[in-house]
Amino acid sequence: MQEIIIGIGVTALAGALAAIAGAAEDTESNIGSQGDPNSQVQLAPQMGYTHRIYNKAVSGEPPAYTLWVTLACGVAWAFLMLGVNAILAIVFGTVLATFVQGVYATTAYLGRTASLSKFGQPVFIDVIKSVTTVTMAHAFVAIITTVTVCYLMMTVIGHPFALPLLGIVWGLALGAAGSATGNPYYGKERQYQNQKFGAGVPISASGNIVRYAEAGQRSSIDNGFFTAKFGGPASGLCFGLIVFFELWRTILFEDYLAGWGAVIAGAVIIIIFMIIDRYVEVWGRKNYGPYTVEASA
Amino acid sequence: MSVKIEASHDGIPHNKVMVIGAVISLVSLYIAIIGTTLGVDYLAFFGGIAAIGALIWGNSTIKKLCSYGIGTGVPSAGMLAFGSGVIALLFASTLSGISIWIVPVAALILGLVVGLFLGWISNSVLNMKIPVMTRSLAELAAVGSLALMGLGAVATGFVGFMDIATFDLLGVTVYNASYLGAGIIAVSFMLGAIALQHPFNACLGPGEKQDRTNMLAIECGFLSMIVMAVISFAFVSLIAAWISLVVAVIGWAVSYVKYVALSKRDAASWLDAKPFSDSEE
Repeated sequence: MQEIIIGIGVTALAGALAAIAGAAEDTESNIGSQGDPNSQVQLAPQMGYTHRIYNKAVSGEPPAYTLWVTLACGVAWAFLMLGVNAILAIVFGTVLATFVQGVYATTAYLGRTASLSKFGQPVFIDVIKSVTTVTMAHAFVAIITTVTVCYLMMTVIGHPFALPLLGIVWGLALGAAGSATGNPYYGKERQYQNQKFGAGVPISASGNIVRYAEAGQRSSIDNGFFTAKFGGPASGLCFGLIVFFELWRTILFEDYLAGWGAVIAGAVIIIIFMIIDRYVEVWGRKNYGPYTVEASA
Repeated sequence: MSVKIEASHDGIPHNKVMVIGAVISLVSLYIAIIGTTLGVDYLAFFGGIAAIGALIWGNSTIKKLCSYGIGTGVPSAGMLAFGSGVIALLFASTLSGISIWIVPVAALILGLVVGLFLGWISNSVLNMKIPVMTRSLAELAAVGSLALMGLGAVATGFVGFMDIATFDLLGVTVYNASYLGAGIIAVSFMLGAIALQHPFNACLGPGEKQDRTNMLAIECGFLSMIVMAVISFAFVSLIAAWISLVVAVIGWAVSYVKYVALSKRDAASWLDAKPFSDSEE
C-alpha cells in the first residue's frame, strides 16, 4: 500500500514537472522560431520581407529536445557515478545541455541568415545576444524538469531503463508534445496575425509574417510573450497529461494479469481520449463552422 | 523521382572530401587503439578527431543527397545514418575477439554493407528512385558507425565489445554501469546524429558555401566531444579525461570563432541594434 501511495505522489510530482517542461519547451521553440513555423521565417526574406525574427533551424523539435534531454541525462549519470549529489548532478547535466543548445542556436541563426545574403537579409548581433539567452533560459527550465522526471522514474519507481535511455524517450515525447500542440498557435495565429481573421493562410500571404511591433520592429522575444498565454500552457497540459497517465496506469495496474493490466489500461485511456477528441472536434466545427465569405462582399 | 538542384558550387569535390574524412577517421581510431594496447588511456581524445573526420565526410554526403530536393529530410538523414551505423558498430566491436586491429576497418566495411542494403530497399522496394540514394545511404551508415566508435573511444578509451559492455567497479565486473549498459551510447547516438545533420541544415540556402559548412561540421564535432569528454570522467583516468576536455574546448573555441568570421564574410550585412530598411517602405 505504501508503495502505491509513494508511486501516486511521484506520479503527481512528475506530471506537474512535465507540465512546466511542456510550457517552457513550447515558449522556447517559439522564441527561437524552431519547428514547422520556421519555414515561413526562412521564406520571408526570399519574398522581400526582411525581418528580425530568430531562425533557430537546428532540426525539428523532437530530435533537438531528444538531444538536449539525453545529453543532460548522460552527464547527470556520469556525475552520479562520481558520487555527486543527485540534485547537483542534474543541474550540471542541464547546464551543459543548455550550453550546447545555445551554441546550436547561434550557429543555426548565423548559418541560415548568411546563406540568405542574396536577398539582403542582415545578421542582427543584438538579436543573437538578446534572443539566444532567453531561449537558453527557457530550455534550461524544460530540460531540468524533464531530467528530474526521468530521474524519479529510474530511482523511485524503479524503471528498468538506464537514465539516458529514459532521456531519449521523454525528450522525444516532450519535443513532440510542444511541436504538435503549441506550434499551430504560433505558426497559424501569431505569424499571420496581420491577415484577416479566419481567412486561413493564402499562398499570396506566404512569407508575409508579423515583423512590426506596436512601435518599431519586432524580434522574436515577442513571440514568446504572445504564445506563453495559450500555446505554452496547452503544450504543458499535453505533456503533463502524457507523463501523468503513463505513470498512473503503470503504478495502479502493473500487478494485474502479469503486467498486461497496465497495457490494457493504456489502451482504454487512448480510446477515451479519442472519443473526447472526436466530440471536441465535432463541437468546434458545428459552432464555428467553415470560413464563409460575408454576404455583402 | 526527383530533380537535382545544385546546392552550391563546391571547391573540393565530394570524392576528395570522402577520402580525406575516412582517412582522418581511421588513422585517429588506430592511434586511439595504439594507446589502449600500450595500456594508457590519454590517447582517447583521438576518438573525437575520428568523429570529426567522419562528420566532415558525412556532411558532404548529406549535401549531395539533399540536392535532390529533400530539404526537410536533412535531420532525418542524420538519424538514419546513426541508426544504421549502430548496427555496424556493435557487430564490428564484437570482432575485437579476433583482433582489435580489424575493428575500425570492419566498422567502415560493415557500415557500407548495411547502408547498401538500406539503399537497395529504399530505391528498389520503396521505389524512391533517387539516383544517389544507394551510395549515399551506404556512406552515411559508414559515417555513423565510425563517428559512434570515435565518440565511444572518447568516453571509455576503448573500441572492443567487452570493454564497452562491462565496467570494473571496485574489482567487480558490472554490466549496467558500462558504456552500453548505462545507455551512454544513446548520448553518442543523439550527439552524432544532430552534429551530422546540423552543418548542412544550418547553412541551407542559396548562399551556402562549402568552407563555412565544413567549419561548422568541425565545430559540431568538437562540441560533441566536449560532452563526451565530461562523461568520460566516469570511465577513464582523470588525466585522460582532462586532456580530452581541454583538447575539445580549445578545438571548439577556435572553430566557433572561425565559423562566426566566415558567417560575417558571407552575410549581406552585420548590424548591431540597427533596424532593417524595408524595401516596401
